[in-house]
Amino acid sequence: MTISRRDLFKAGFAVGAALSIPSIPRAQTATAAARTARMVKSSDLRVFDPILTATNITADHGAAIYDTLFSLDSKFMPQPQMVSNWSVSNDKKAYTFELREGLGWHDGTPVTAADCVASIRRWGQVHPGGQLIMALASDISERDDKTFTISLKEPLGLLIDLLADLTPPCLFMMREKDANRPATEQVTANIGSGPFKFNEALLKPGASITFDRNEKYVPRKEPSDGLAGGKVVHVDRVIWDVIPDQQTAMAALQAGEVDYFETPPVELYSSVESDPDLGLQVLDKPGWDVVLRMNCLQPPFNNVKARQAMLHLIDQEAFMRVMYADPKYINTVTSIFGKDTPVSNDENTGWYKKGGDPEKARQLFKEAAYAGEKVVILDPTDWREADNASQLLAAALRKIGVNAELAPMDWGGVSTRRAKKDSVENGGWSLFITSESNYSLGNPLATPLLLANGDDAWYGWPKNDEYEALRADWANVSTLQERKELARRMQSIWWDFVGDVRLGKYVSPIAHRKTLTGLIGMPQIVPMWNMQKVTA
Amino acid sequence: MGAYILGRMGSAIVVMVMVGIFVFLLLRLAPGDPAAMIAGRSATEEMIAGIREQLGLNDPLPVQFIQWVRAMLGGDFGTSIFAGRPVLELLSQRLEPTLSLTILTTIVAVTVGVSFGVLAAWQTGGFVDRLLAVFSALGYSVPVFVIGYFLIYFFAIRTHWLPVQGYKPIGSGLGLWFVHLILPTVALGLGFIAFIARVTRASMLEVLSEDYMRTAAAKGASSYAMLVHHALKNAGVPILTVIGISFAYMIGGVVLTETVFNIPGIGRLVVDAINNRDYPIIQSVLVLTSGLYVLINLTVDLAYTLIDPRIRY
Repeated sequence: MTISRRDLFKAGFAVGAALSIPSIPRAQTATAAARTARMVKSSDLRVFDPILTATNITADHGAAIYDTLFSLDSKFMPQPQMVSNWSVSNDKKAYTFELREGLGWHDGTPVTAADCVASIRRWGQVHPGGQLIMALASDISERDDKTFTISLKEPLGLLIDLLADLTPPCLFMMREKDANRPATEQVTANIGSGPFKFNEALLKPGASITFDRNEKYVPRKEPSDGLAGGKVVHVDRVIWDVIPDQQTAMAALQAGEVDYFETPPVELYSSVESDPDLGLQVLDKPGWDVVLRMNCLQPPFNNVKARQAMLHLIDQEAFMRVMYADPKYINTVTSIFGKDTPVSNDENTGWYKKGGDPEKARQLFKEAAYAGEKVVILDPTDWREADNASQLLAAALRKIGVNAELAPMDWGGVSTRRAKKDSVENGGWSLFITSESNYSLGNPLATPLLLANGDDAWYGWPKNDEYEALRADWANVSTLQERKELARRMQSIWWDFVGDVRLGKYVSPIAHRKTLTGLIGMPQIVPMWNMQKVTA
Repeated sequence: MGAYILGRMGSAIVVMVMVGIFVFLLLRLAPGDPAAMIAGRSATEEMIAGIREQLGLNDPLPVQFIQWVRAMLGGDFGTSIFAGRPVLELLSQRLEPTLSLTILTTIVAVTVGVSFGVLAAWQTGGFVDRLLAVFSALGYSVPVFVIGYFLIYFFAIRTHWLPVQGYKPIGSGLGLWFVHLILPTVALGLGFIAFIARVTRASMLEVLSEDYMRTAAAKGASSYAMLVHHALKNAGVPILTVIGISFAYMIGGVVLTETVFNIPGIGRLVVDAINNRDYPIIQSVLVLTSGLYVLINLTVDLAYTLIDPRIRY
C-alpha cells in the first residue's frame, strides 16, 4: 500500500480538527466556570446519609441539600430556620413548632410536619442529644401539615439547643419515607429541601460530586449570620473535586483549576501566602482538640495514679509542635470543655497546666505500682499528625521507664482495635490519640467523649458516678450561669479521676483563590450558600 | 491450539477462584471494620454495632463466603458498602480512565522504547547507545511521583500549557481526553520506555551477531531491511514478553500515577476501598485483575506464534 501526499494531508487535517474540538465550547464554558465553584474537600464523600455517619464531609453534604429546623448563628445561639414560630407551654413540657411557607422537597412535593417528626425520631436514635430527647419525650407528633409538637415527661431547657446542635450527626430534615428507615440503614435518595440539589447524573464516585443551586428554595428574609438567616446561593453549581494527593490539590489551586482547598498541609502554607492570588482563612475558629484516650479497664491505666501520671508527662506545646508545627495555628487547652467555649474554665488545672514533668510522672507510675506491663499505643500511620504524636508519646513514656510499644496500623485498624476491652496480651490496647471539635466539647450532652459511665462510655471507658450525676443535671439547668457553675464542678472531678488527657488544640486554615469570597466560618460544617466567585 | 487455549482459560478460572478465597479470608482476618469507617471517628460503639448488623457483617464467615460466591456465580459482584452502588457500575466508571492511560502509555512506550533499543543496538557505543544508558538509569531510578510533580510544575503551573490533574472521558472530545493524558502518560511511560528499550537492545545485539545477519549484509541488504525485517523480527519474542509483562504490571501498578494526576481509575478505586474496608470492591477487583493477568499472558503466548513460526501449541 502506498500513501500519497494527499492522504497525508487529509489525515493531518482530521487530527487537527479533532484536537481543536475543546476550543469550540471554550467561550461557553468560561461563563459557566464563572458561576461554578470547585472545591477540594477534606476527603471523598463516601457515605451520603448524614444520620448514618458522624463524619464532617457527610455533614457538609447534608447542610447543602437538607435544611434544618433551627440553625446556630455566629454567636452559637439557635435561630429558627425551617420553623416560622415556636412556643413552649407554661409547664415547659410541650413545644409546638410551625413550619414556614415555601418549603419544598427537591422532588416537588411540599415539606410537611410528618416529615419533620420522622426525621427527629431517626436522628434521636443516634445523636446523644437526640437520644436524651427521645428518652424524655412522651409524644412527638404532627398536628397538621405545618405544625408538630414535642411533649416531654419533664422539662428540658436545652431542647432548642439540641435541635440546632452542630455536632454530627446533625438534625437534617428528610422526607418521611426516607426518615422512616432505621438510622443504621443508609438513605441514598439525596433528596432534601435545602438550598442545593444533588446532581445524581453528574455523580462520579471517587472523582467528583456536583451540587446545583435549588432555584425553588425560598431563603429566610434575615441576613446570613453563621448558619442562621437567609441561605442565599450566589453560584449556579458547586463541584467537589476529589483529589486525594495534597500536592496535586495545591497545584490545581495554584493553576486555577479549583477555587478552594480545605486541608492544605502545614508545609504548604508559605506557598499559599506567597501567591498573590491565594489566601488562607480559618473557617472553624474554635478548631479541634487533640485527645489522648487511656484504657481505664486494663493495667496500668485502670489505676488513677497512672492516668494522673500522663497529665504530668504531657507537654502540650511539644505535642502540638510535632503535630501541626505552625505556632499561629496551635494552642494549649486545659479545660475539658475545650478552649474559649461558653463553659470553658480553669477549675482544678493548676497542677496540670504546666505539664511536661517526667519526674512527677515517674513517681506517680511508681505509686500506681507499675511493674513493667506492656503499654500498647495504637498508632494510625495514615493520619500523619497522630502518627507523629504517637511516636513522641512512646519516646516520652520510655524515658520514664514505661514499657511502651507502638502498634502501627491504619485508622481502619485503630477503629476496630479501640473497641476491644481485653488486655494487651489478648489484642487490647492502652492508649490512642483522637480529636474532637472544640465546639462540641462545650456540650457534654452532644459529644460522647465527655461520658464517664464505664462500659457505656466512649473508648477507654472511664467511670465516675459522681461526675455522671452532675452530667445528667446538664439537661435541667436553664441559664448559662448555672451551666458554667455545673461545668466547673464536673471538670474538678474529671481531672481528679482523669477521664482522658488533652494534647492541645489546633485550627486548620483552608486555602482559597481570592476570587472566591463570602465563605461562612463555623465549626463542624462548611456551608456553601453565601459564597460567590468574583471576576479576577 | 484450541485445546491449549481451553486449558489456559481453565487455569485462569482456577487462579481466580484461588485468589477469591485468599482475598476473602485475608480481608476478614485483617484488622479493620467497614462499619466503624462508615460511622466516623467520633462514633459510639452503639452506632457501629447497629451498622454492622445492618450490613450483615455479624454473620458467620462461612455464611458470608457462600453468599458472596453464590452472587459472583450469578454475575452479581455485590454492592459497595460505602457508596451503596453496584460494584460493576463503579468498576465500569473507573475502567475507561485506567485503560486509556495504560493503553496510551503502552503505545508510546513500545513505539519509543523499541525504536530507541534498535538504534542503540545498531550503533553500539554510539551517541544513542550512551543516551539510552543515561535515560535507562533515570527511568528506572526516579519514582513516578517525582517525575509527575516535576512535569506538573513546569507544564501546568509555570506555563499553563497542560492541565494539572483530572480526566476527561473520550466522549467529551478527543482533544480534551488527550491533553489530560499527556503528562500522566509521560510520567508513567518513562520507566517502561527504559525497560523495553534495554530489552530490545540486548535482544537485538544477540541477533545482530548471528551468521544469517552477516549473510544478509553480504547479499547487500540495506541497513533498514537488516534491522527491521531480519533482526527485529527474530528478536521479537523477548520484546513481546516484556511488553506483555509491562502492560499487566501497568494495570496493577498505575495507582501512583492515578493519584498524582488525580485520575479516577481502578487503582485509586482499590486503594480507597482498602482504606475503607469496602470488601465487595476489593474482592471483585482483585479477582477480575487476576483473570486479566492470565488473559494477557495467554494473548502474549499466542502472539509468539505470529512472529516465530517455530512455536506451536
